[in-house]
Amino acid sequence: MRRDFLPCAAHAAPIPAQAGVGLRFPHHKPVMAGEAKAAWFEVHPENYLGDGVIPDILARVRRDFPISLHATGLSLGSADGIDPDHLAAIAALASRIQPGLISDHLSWSSAGGIHLPDLLPLPYTREAQDIFVRNIDRVQMTLGRPILIENPSVYLAFAHNEMREGEFLAGLARRSGCGLLLDINNVAVSAANLGEGAAARLHQMLDDLPAPAVGEIHLAGHTVRECADGSHVHIDDHGSPISEEVWGLYADTVRRIGPRPALIEWDSAIPTFARLADEARTADDVMATALEVCHATAG
Amino acid sequence: MPPLAELQHHFAQAVLSGEVPTGLLAGTISPAEALSIHRDTIMDALVNALRLSYPTVETLVGEEFFDWTCRIFAEANLPKTASLAIYGEAFADFLAGFAPAADLPYLADVARLDRAVETALRAPTPQRRFVIDVAVSIVLPQSLTVLPLMYPADEIRAGIKDDAIMAKIVIEPAQRFILVWRKGFDAAVRRVSVPAGRFLISLLAGEGAEAAFHAASACEPEAVVLSAIQAELFAAPFCTVISTLEELRP
Repeated sequence: MRRDFLPCAAHAAPIPAQAGVGLRFPHHKPVMAGEAKAAWFEVHPENYLGDGVIPDILARVRRDFPISLHATGLSLGSADGIDPDHLAAIAALASRIQPGLISDHLSWSSAGGIHLPDLLPLPYTREAQDIFVRNIDRVQMTLGRPILIENPSVYLAFAHNEMREGEFLAGLARRSGCGLLLDINNVAVSAANLGEGAAARLHQMLDDLPAPAVGEIHLAGHTVRECADGSHVHIDDHGSPISEEVWGLYADTVRRIGPRPALIEWDSAIPTFARLADEARTADDVMATALEVCHATAG
Repeated sequence: MPPLAELQHHFAQAVLSGEVPTGLLAGTISPAEALSIHRDTIMDALVNALRLSYPTVETLVGEEFFDWTCRIFAEANLPKTASLAIYGEAFADFLAGFAPAADLPYLADVARLDRAVETALRAPTPQRRFVIDVAVSIVLPQSLTVLPLMYPADEIRAGIKDDAIMAKIVIEPAQRFILVWRKGFDAAVRRVSVPAGRFLISLLAGEGAEAAFHAASACEPEAVVLSAIQAELFAAPFCTVISTLEELRP
């Protein structure tokens, strides 16, 4: 049964439909000093849990900027269920920071009491969807608000998938009341690794997903590595500039579903903040241009 | 297809071992290659978590040796939770027994100090109050810890980026007590004498001031111990001395 939740916590600053920046440790000081600014920031809550200096820094940043929490460790696809201690720690941080959005991934990380810090792929089966919905329910009941679920980058598929990724995600939104986070780079990476066209995969995804459920977009870079057999694998390392292909897919997405908060996401080879700000400006420009095209076409 | 719990158990083992399960996976990339990407991501995440917690160790041994050492540690010490900030608690003890680092007997103590700094930074801000006698109490930060070490890890940490300072450090094993506490958005490190260190270890362990004083007096005259406690602890910037009688006065 679908549950209805408040759109966000009562004291949260909403995340604007503009480009935001992923806040990482090297940029704490310039952001706290007011030398580095963005419309909003997103952090991985796993880096800010508990007590001490690091969560205090986030609380300081939160005074001046809306914050989104993008979790990587809830392991929502685990058949073992949700780690109650980890969920409680995330809930405590959310209570303190009052983020505009909270999200995690269509993936799993924990099995048999071991946590593997990666976003491991799920089979798109009805059983997996039932388990995922149950885990989302638990998280949303604890947080008292809906979360967003992000489409993953995949390097393989399961032979026994029963539905498309978009259908799986749409089912999650319909059954749990969760929102969705559309990572455009992940669409491009998955398409390349599964032998599909990126535009075709995106358009199929947009056909499958309920557009109003999409609450955020991610934009990032990836690398291409040559395998021993001469084939190429696209790796979602968030360590290079956003590709022209991804910018194009982003424009397509804005034309289809309208403006959304869009994150510039780097997690390795973190560049200067100025470069992140440049990419954020480009994202805003791409969105504005795409909307102008929409309006001109409609007019 | 097996039930999800079984599949995830097998998949996790396949990622860690590199042995590809049959009939389960599809895609254009070879399953072995795909699994190796996940394995690399997992190991990179664990190595980076250790890099953040043990910066002095990495600078001492260099990035290549550090990464290689961390991978060996990580393969035998997979995390149980998603909070990687607390990952690697056993790293110092691992280094103490790590044969390739046997030429650096001080490495484990350096790791212990790195860890203590990290732990102090993650400590809550409330303070703890200890009754010293009927008239005096002291208030100490929750983050304050005492490390009993055999090597001058504090000097190494302070001089790690200056070859001239590093060259002057005398690496001789001897008992040393090093205090670490949170100071604003940073951590402070200070060495104290053996009696002051012994007193504080006992006090923080909840043994009471009198027992702590006796523990500190085991090898030193009481007057020396008293002087050390007053000068190095009670007068330290992290310590607030409270007159209980003043508090009781209306």
